[in-house]
Amino acid sequence: MTKLAEWLLALSVLGAAWVTLNFNLLGLDLPPPLQQLLWPLPVYLLVVFGCYSLATIGYRVATFNDCEDAARELQQQISEAKRDLALKGLKF
Amino acid sequence: MATGSDRLAGAGLVALSSIIFVYYSVWVILLPFIDSDHVIHNFFLSREYAVLLPLSAALVLLFFIGIFVTFIMWKSRSPKKKSE
Repeated sequence: MTKLAEWLLALSVLGAAWVTLNFNLLGLDLPPPLQQLLWPLPVYLLVVFGCYSLATIGYRVATFNDCEDAARELQQQISEAKRDLALKGLKF
Repeated sequence: MATGSDRLAGAGLVALSSIIFVYYSVWVILLPFIDSDHVIHNFFLSREYAVLLPLSAALVLLFFIGIFVTFIMWKSRSPKKKSE
């Protein structure tokens, strides 16, 4: 099963559960506060997902690290290459 | 290490998203269980807006993304036509 099929399956199961409970297809006797909680639940989940995404982006921006060792290595390789090319007669 | 402004922007994003999360959670999850004459209801709009506001925001966002994509594609295609 691909990842897409997994997500679609999970979403459709959740959606079916939500429709069943929200439109009371089983004839359950839910208390009114629970019914009021139920109908904005998909939008709530969407908003929570958006908040999580925003927080993840913010956290990664705040802890974005410099790769100083890699930068030094790259500079060294550049100077090596320049020296090598200068030996072969290339002018910079 | 990230620069100071990067850290500030990242902390701002995290703070913004946690404020939205807490406020919206109280609005949607907690308020149905609190008596309707409690003072806390004065700090929140009525329940319909808990769905209408995010949906309209999403629609506006999709609208602007659509305009942006259209503009970019149109911009990248027009010089090709000139050369033909």
